[in-house]
Amino acid sequence: MSLRRYLRRREWDEERQRELDAHLAEETADNVARGMTPDEARRRAYMKLGNPTMIREEIWKMNSFVSVEDLGRDVRYALRQLRKSPGFAAIAIVTLALGIGVNTAIFSMVNGLLFSSMHIRQENRMLEIGSRQKGTPWQPQFSLVEYEALHGQTSDVFSDAVGDAYGLDGLSMEGNKPDRAFTDYVTGDYFDVLGVQPYLGRLFHAGEGVTPGADPVVVLTYPYWKRHFAADPNVVGKHVLLDGHPMTVVGVTAKEYHGVNTALSPEVYLPLAMIVPIESTPLSEYNKPTNRNLRLYARLKPGVTKQQANATLEVVSRRLVAEQPVADKDIELASFPLWVGRNAGFDPQNAIGEVAWFFLGLAGMVLLLACVNVANLLLVRATVREREMVIRSALGAARSRLIRQMLTESILLAVCGGLAGIGLGLWGSHLLSSINLGTDLPLHFDFGFDWHVLAFSMVVAVAAGAVVGIVPALRLARANLNLVLREGGRGVAGGGHRFRDALVTVQVGSAMILLIIAGLFTRSLTQSEHAELGFNPSNVLTMMMDPGEIGYTDPRARDFYDQLLQRLRAEPGVKSATIAQIVPMGVVGNGGDAITVGGYQAPAGQSAAPVLYNLIATDYFSTLQIPMVQGRDFSAEDDESHPYAAIVSEAMVKKYWPRGDAIGRTFTMNSDPAHPLVVVGVARDARYQGFRQAMPPYFYIPFAQHYTGNSLETLEVRTEGDPGGMLPELERAINDMAPNLPVFDVKTLHQALYTPNGLLLFQIIATLAGVMGTLGLVLAIVGVYGVLSYVVSQRTSEIGVRMALGAGRGDILKIVYKQGMWIVGIGLAVGLAASFGIAHLLHSLIVVSPADPATYLGVSAMLAAIAMLACYIPARRAMYVEPMKALRMD
Amino acid sequence: MLIRSKKEQELLLGTLDMLILQTLVMGAAHGHTIAHVIEHMSEDVLQIEQGSLYPALHRLEDREWVSSFWGTSENNRKARFYKLTAAGRKRLRVETNRWESMVEAIGRVLGNTGRVVE
Repeated sequence: MSLRRYLRRREWDEERQRELDAHLAEETADNVARGMTPDEARRRAYMKLGNPTMIREEIWKMNSFVSVEDLGRDVRYALRQLRKSPGFAAIAIVTLALGIGVNTAIFSMVNGLLFSSMHIRQENRMLEIGSRQKGTPWQPQFSLVEYEALHGQTSDVFSDAVGDAYGLDGLSMEGNKPDRAFTDYVTGDYFDVLGVQPYLGRLFHAGEGVTPGADPVVVLTYPYWKRHFAADPNVVGKHVLLDGHPMTVVGVTAKEYHGVNTALSPEVYLPLAMIVPIESTPLSEYNKPTNRNLRLYARLKPGVTKQQANATLEVVSRRLVAEQPVADKDIELASFPLWVGRNAGFDPQNAIGEVAWFFLGLAGMVLLLACVNVANLLLVRATVREREMVIRSALGAARSRLIRQMLTESILLAVCGGLAGIGLGLWGSHLLSSINLGTDLPLHFDFGFDWHVLAFSMVVAVAAGAVVGIVPALRLARANLNLVLREGGRGVAGGGHRFRDALVTVQVGSAMILLIIAGLFTRSLTQSEHAELGFNPSNVLTMMMDPGEIGYTDPRARDFYDQLLQRLRAEPGVKSATIAQIVPMGVVGNGGDAITVGGYQAPAGQSAAPVLYNLIATDYFSTLQIPMVQGRDFSAEDDESHPYAAIVSEAMVKKYWPRGDAIGRTFTMNSDPAHPLVVVGVARDARYQGFRQAMPPYFYIPFAQHYTGNSLETLEVRTEGDPGGMLPELERAINDMAPNLPVFDVKTLHQALYTPNGLLLFQIIATLAGVMGTLGLVLAIVGVYGVLSYVVSQRTSEIGVRMALGAGRGDILKIVYKQGMWIVGIGLAVGLAASFGIAHLLHSLIVVSPADPATYLGVSAMLAAIAMLACYIPARRAMYVEPMKALRMD
Repeated sequence: MLIRSKKEQELLLGTLDMLILQTLVMGAAHGHTIAHVIEHMSEDVLQIEQGSLYPALHRLEDREWVSSFWGTSENNRKARFYKLTAAGRKRLRVETNRWESMVEAIGRVLGNTGRVVE
């Protein structure tokens, strides 16, 4: 059949009519010649030919794309059917939209965290390098020495290797208050290797970033340029101050480029070696093999596999061990795809990506629940419409055609639900992106809506439509239509119920799993909120500042802090004040250092694990109210002219000096072997990271003995009353002393616990899981209620008979409840078993035990109670069935 | 069941196609003539339902085994005439061969069983 014929089929049809007319005329004439009357002749001619309209129809059909036309008709028919029962359509569409929306939103998160484009050239050929000492987790941390080794010795597998180091610096135009920018110090070939193009001006040259202080040039990112330079087209060539150092803007990066980290987007790029003057890092520190703050990336040469790359890395690491026996003891190197490192390092324990995957699984479960609900609705509807189907089939409709019509209806529902769901998902992903991460750092998620997400939602919607539609369609296909007709349309009774019951059981089970997971996370959150922290977070105000951002270098910055603390301590309402480099649960600088303790030998096969430490001023322990157990606090005496002192935690004592005689002992940090530290005090353990693990060894060293350039500190002030009320006084004091100094992350210590490293992640996870648990619960209730209501309506006449034969209301209630409780009971049991298994997979994410009895008991009781309620309404309806009415119904 | 009936249908349609093509060997003809020729030639054994003729003609034309044109019938009426194309002629040979071999085969089967029954 040709398209031409299709388009001309009306004309063609007219021609056929003329042809058939001619045939009839011939035949009539023949008949008349045989001696018939004209009427009789005409009648006979028609009889012989058959119905001309039917013949034309047959030819017309041959000229049409039958399936396409039928599809149009099916869609129109389905629309009409749905319009006839708007309640059903609305519930089905909303249910599907919820399921699809949740999946879209969560997938946009997974996509944003793992798959969204970084807008660099050939992303999958770029690798991030990780290092570790045998037995410790992989880290993205390298020294300059290691970078140079990698850069020089891997040219057989990598076309190039680049490095960068993050910083926080103050950027200002001459004379203005600096703006704190998230900076990235990169090797000169960084942008060339990544394949990033300039939007304006130029990016860095390969030679830049080698000699400290030689390249006072700055590259801005597009969003920073827009926000802070008002998208000034003449920005190239402008002079800016970076931590007081004059620099020249040479370019702006491409619009889409946002760095190679998901949440952290650098705002300003600088040549690597500029870190020496700008962050006033002494050259000796910059070159030190233990100073590891570089991240390394490498591009695979064409045709080279990752296995080959890792083999070369192994050779490099062996050479490093030989050349740097102390700093690179037992070092191992390996390459990782960019997406592994783009979130939270290589450690799978706290990889946000894993959490996101897990949530995608939960969202899938919600979708399953939604699909089952809609499938159940459709099943009920199919039963109600059985009589219609039977009649149509009796009138000659092919069964395949009826099935297709029902499928069309389901797919139409899925399409509507899908569109609504994508809208809902967009909103959800926007909500997820706007989660406040509780810090002034440029830390944010942007779960944009790209084609990955759209394709995913489409697939989900279509799959949902097919799953939802296939069930009733198949049932209809198997139904014995004659039987239905004879039964007076009372449904293809029997086996179908069991299937429907099974579906509801699945729903109850899934809801159980969702709720238990939500419960476990919520309990983890509350448990963490009430966890023994080891310090007292109330009535403490914290704020971060870095006098380096206004160009203060060592003695001046140190004097600034000393004077600030003196002034604040004299302020009425201030109990005590201190500064520290690390805030508990903070996101900045949680670095540790390997230490050597005289007389302590690490267990065989393990390297010395790095120990976390904090750099603090005097009064730290009284401000945070961490009790001293032994020895003394730091005093003004502990400065550079005295022996270097340290205060260690109880856990550290337990590990390194198990006999408890720590005071007076010495140990050295591997980064500074020249200055052994004398233990002068022992403090109670305090939680700096995580809520679950036993508190690891920790030590404190005085600010006055270790001030090496980095002046980013947190001021911590314990107040008499509400700490918020003291803020104006504190700000005035700082402003008097250093008018241009930017202050950020101002919050109470209690608020400071809600960071991505602290309670915030739990809060987000618990909220998300809670939302999905609630959705699951609602969907399951609707399922239980719907099925029981249907059962009651189908059994009305049976109930009537029973009542007529003397059954009491209570007996009827029992009958309905028995059926309902079977469904719910099996669902609960299956759900309980499944959640137990799933919870064990989660043990690294939750604080409470995966078998937390409170959660399991609470959720089962709640679900059972709500399910009882859902059964009650249909049961009540059954109870008040009027026997006479019920019997007369059919 | 479905498949078998479809095959049966195909066989019948094929037969009708063959008969139509055979009729047209003698020259162009319009629908009415074709119907009558088939009936007469088979000495009224094959009473084709005239209604199925036209869809069949349409199908044959679609496959370009026949072509059609408007002409005037022997009774001076406007009529659509059908004419065999080269492809149609070839097709007829194929169909005829197939038919003959089938008849032969059926004949052999019937002949054999006939003897057994006797």
